[in-house]
Amino acid sequence: MGLLAKLLTFPVSGPVAGIRWSLEMVERTAREELTDDTAIKQELMELQLALESGEIDDAEYRSREADLMLRLRDVRYWREQFGLGLSGGPVRVQRDEDEH
Amino acid sequence: MTQREEFAMDEVTLAPRTPAGPPDGGKYVYCIVRTEAPCEFGAIGMGGEGRRVYTVHHRDLAAVVSDTPIVIYDPTRENVLAHEFVNETVMREHTVIPMSFGTVFRSEEDVTELLRSTYQAFSDVLDKMRDKIEFGLKVLWDREQVIATLERTNEEIGRLKEEIENNAQSSTYFARVQLGRLVESALEEAGNAFVSDVHESLRPVAVASRSSKPIGDRMIMNAAFLVERSASERFDEKVRELSHRHEGLLTFKYTGPWPPYNFVNIKLKLERAD
Repeated sequence: MGLLAKLLTFPVSGPVAGIRWSLEMVERTAREELTDDTAIKQELMELQLALESGEIDDAEYRSREADLMLRLRDVRYWREQFGLGLSGGPVRVQRDEDEH
Repeated sequence: MTQREEFAMDEVTLAPRTPAGPPDGGKYVYCIVRTEAPCEFGAIGMGGEGRRVYTVHHRDLAAVVSDTPIVIYDPTRENVLAHEFVNETVMREHTVIPMSFGTVFRSEEDVTELLRSTYQAFSDVLDKMRDKIEFGLKVLWDREQVIATLERTNEEIGRLKEEIENNAQSSTYFARVQLGRLVESALEEAGNAFVSDVHESLRPVAVASRSSKPIGDRMIMNAAFLVERSASERFDEKVRELSHRHEGLLTFKYTGPWPPYNFVNIKLKLERAD
């Protein structure tokens, strides 16, 4: 029965599985892009270096920094949505389950 | 351990994001020190209003804190400098374990709970870091100058270059490709040689070192050194010697003393408290 069902449904299940797989890939890639702040932090460091070496002035630094801060907030928002770890913000010591 | 507030300017205004909570009941934690006596560090706290920086105690440990609303501080240069300024002030008289930027607890009790639950790890690290400070050293090179030096000192490169210049119209394409490859590999070699010269010169005066990824394309080294307080002058001298030796080719960005940001890694079991 199992094999027969498989054979009968093959033309259907093949492509569907393929679509599902590629949707999962898209979702995973999108999630990684939304929740990864390493590129933003790298840009922030480069920006600071540019300010320190006098390549850009304070005003330009501030406007570009504000832009990066907004992008960091977006990442933070998405990390919250996906239940991922965050740095900064209100915290408390984790309570062990058995202490309750 | 690493890193956030108010930031206003002409075009963009980022208002601090404020999860609901008591207006000033939170505690921003800068670092952990060992002291039983209450300390005051002045009105230098985060938030731009000069909040008072003081200690919260548990046994012989203390957290250096200031009062804060429950907000998420953005890691702007201004905020990060304010965080670092407090740590610099505290470390003049104490060995400190720096906290990640932006760590806010909802109450004094929560801070005490942190000290209580992490007491052993904090104590051990404070013993290890006793009288040690961190220096940051970023080394940038002037690529053009290094190439010019290579053309003078590397025979093969010099010869090829001359050949290309003397045969302007004949087929020098392959000679150019070859020259490009030679220069690339000689540059890589030179970069590695600079970096190991720096490390070898500083090793005798440092306790440990940690390298991070260089920032941007001019940087060849981005490292932190842990140094005994008593050896800091000798470390200083060595850095000056290095910078003198490589003048014109390398620029040294030397910062510190810092608390041992890059040498302390205590995984705190923290959870969000919104």
